[in-house]
Amino acid sequence: MNWLVEFPELGRGDLRDLRKGIDEGFKNFTRTYGESIEGFFDPLLQFLIGLEKLLLAMPWPVFIALVCVLGWLASRSVKIVIGTAISFFLIGFLGMWEDTMSTVSIIMVSTMVCIGLGLPIGILMSRSDRAQAVVTPILDVMQTIPSFVYLIPVVMMLGIGKVPGLISVVIYALPPMIRLTNLGIRLVDKEVLEAADAFGASAWQKLWQVQVPLALPNIFAGVNQTIMMSLAMVVIASMIGVTGLGQPVLKAISNQYLAMGLLNGLAIVALAIIFDRISQSYGKRLQSYRGGHNE
Amino acid sequence: MKKLLHAALVTGALVSSGQALAADCGKVVIGEMNWASGEFLARLDGMILEEGYGCEVEYLTAGTVPQITSMNEKGTPTFASEVWANASKTLIDAAEAEGRLIRLNKKPIDGAGEGWWIDPKTMQEHGFKTVEDVLARPDLFPHPEDPSKGGFHTCPAGWGCELSNANLFRAFDLEAKGWKMVQPGSGAGLDGSIAKAGERGEAWFGYYWAPTTMIGKYELQPLDFDAGYDANNWDNCIVLPVEDCANPQRTRWTTSEVVSLAQGSFLTEQPMAAGYVKARSLTVPQLGKYLKYMDANQATGEDAAIEFLMNEEATWTQWVSSDAAERIKNAL
Repeated sequence: MNWLVEFPELGRGDLRDLRKGIDEGFKNFTRTYGESIEGFFDPLLQFLIGLEKLLLAMPWPVFIALVCVLGWLASRSVKIVIGTAISFFLIGFLGMWEDTMSTVSIIMVSTMVCIGLGLPIGILMSRSDRAQAVVTPILDVMQTIPSFVYLIPVVMMLGIGKVPGLISVVIYALPPMIRLTNLGIRLVDKEVLEAADAFGASAWQKLWQVQVPLALPNIFAGVNQTIMMSLAMVVIASMIGVTGLGQPVLKAISNQYLAMGLLNGLAIVALAIIFDRISQSYGKRLQSYRGGHNE
Repeated sequence: MKKLLHAALVTGALVSSGQALAADCGKVVIGEMNWASGEFLARLDGMILEEGYGCEVEYLTAGTVPQITSMNEKGTPTFASEVWANASKTLIDAAEAEGRLIRLNKKPIDGAGEGWWIDPKTMQEHGFKTVEDVLARPDLFPHPEDPSKGGFHTCPAGWGCELSNANLFRAFDLEAKGWKMVQPGSGAGLDGSIAKAGERGEAWFGYYWAPTTMIGKYELQPLDFDAGYDANNWDNCIVLPVEDCANPQRTRWTTSEVVSLAQGSFLTEQPMAAGYVKARSLTVPQLGKYLKYMDANQATGEDAAIEFLMNEEATWTQWVSSDAAERIKNAL
């Protein structure tokens, strides 16, 4: 009965050859295509560097004012605007301005990339059950695979720095955007769609003038989740050379500097709360406005 | 309990049925370090002691500090092959003064230490030897985010060497010479940057240490700092945070003390085995070859040790007595 107790596993040599084969295959791939892949991402890198430089060159009062105006436009809440101004002032006062700007720039770009990729994929998923069946397991993998597993291959392919960091952030933060876009569109009432059909709307018109607008609150919840997850990933991304608030946190971890870790960690929390409140209240306002119109 | 007893009986039987030699050597517990070269060296020592001197070998795997603590407090392991002594210097000195521990082999690895390294291809093509040679050519090592500058891969954030690198960066005036630091973020990030450059044949310049798999695998070459060493400058400036080091001076990297650390009693009670450990010495390139072998074949330290014993007879026969050499050859 030995075969019942001992799992019939691949021989040690075969297993080693399999692992070596995969490793070699990946190495050959990066050797052949690495440079062109790097070239492909170069515009993104330039954009990231440019944005960071712009944020750093911007006088701080201008930046705070800008964020406050944006916050006001999105939320129309005095509390949020005041909270934002105080948080940014404190961050700067405690010497974390530059790192925060780096982090803000990478979060902004990753959110843009996530929306740019997530919205069309989500729409595709909502329109085709087959697409949904294919994409869902991929999203599961993206959300659950330990990030260190893909961090190292990304480094082999693209080196260390902003772009590989951005890619790992996007891998982690993209799924909620896709899922909630898909969900939002699928939740649109059948009756509304029937009404649109009755008015003779084309599929394109139905999508952009009925489904997407009605799904906006959900889509915004997706954007909100994407931002939150990008911020959570910032510390891990700094392990492959992304500058920003993650670096001092890592430094604090390995040296057990309590205050340094706490301050930088809290700065990340402050950013998260600001982005969260602004995007959430914008989503809510979209909903209430729509509710008012429908009545 | 039953299992334990059983195991004890079996080992007992094995030992008593073994050669009379075992009586000469007895039991040796080898402190195996939890990194590649530490594993290789421990297994190499283990095999030579087992086959050549008939010792009964056990391994204890741990990091530097637990290893030294256990040696000091509990009397095991008998010896540890590769101990980086700098960080625990006071503890070892005290234990050595009392005769509990002994730095049995003061140079088990010739060339071990930290420093600045570059890839072998660039080194050869341009005939670089010293740090200054490299610093004159930032254009060969473009910084990933600002190609107009040279990229110097510094030590990951939070490691002690981050401070020394930042101060040496100032001492050698890298900024004015057109260099910028590349922050690798973590040990894995630093390794990744070397692996990427190595696989693509790109130039690489930065901080690393030997003996390591990365050095062995990509044959990185150390650069000569071409500067003296002043303990005052190093201890009171270079290793401190940038704000506390107002005027860093050029210096070579401080010497890393790597030793084979043993129990004081090892030398008197098991003189043959101790004699081997005392004589055993490898160079970084020699070691690198087998670290590379381990990496390429995903092999264990033991596999690499066998490979070493089979291929490097000229080296290891110098460490052992001729009888022991004969016995090891027969065992292979």
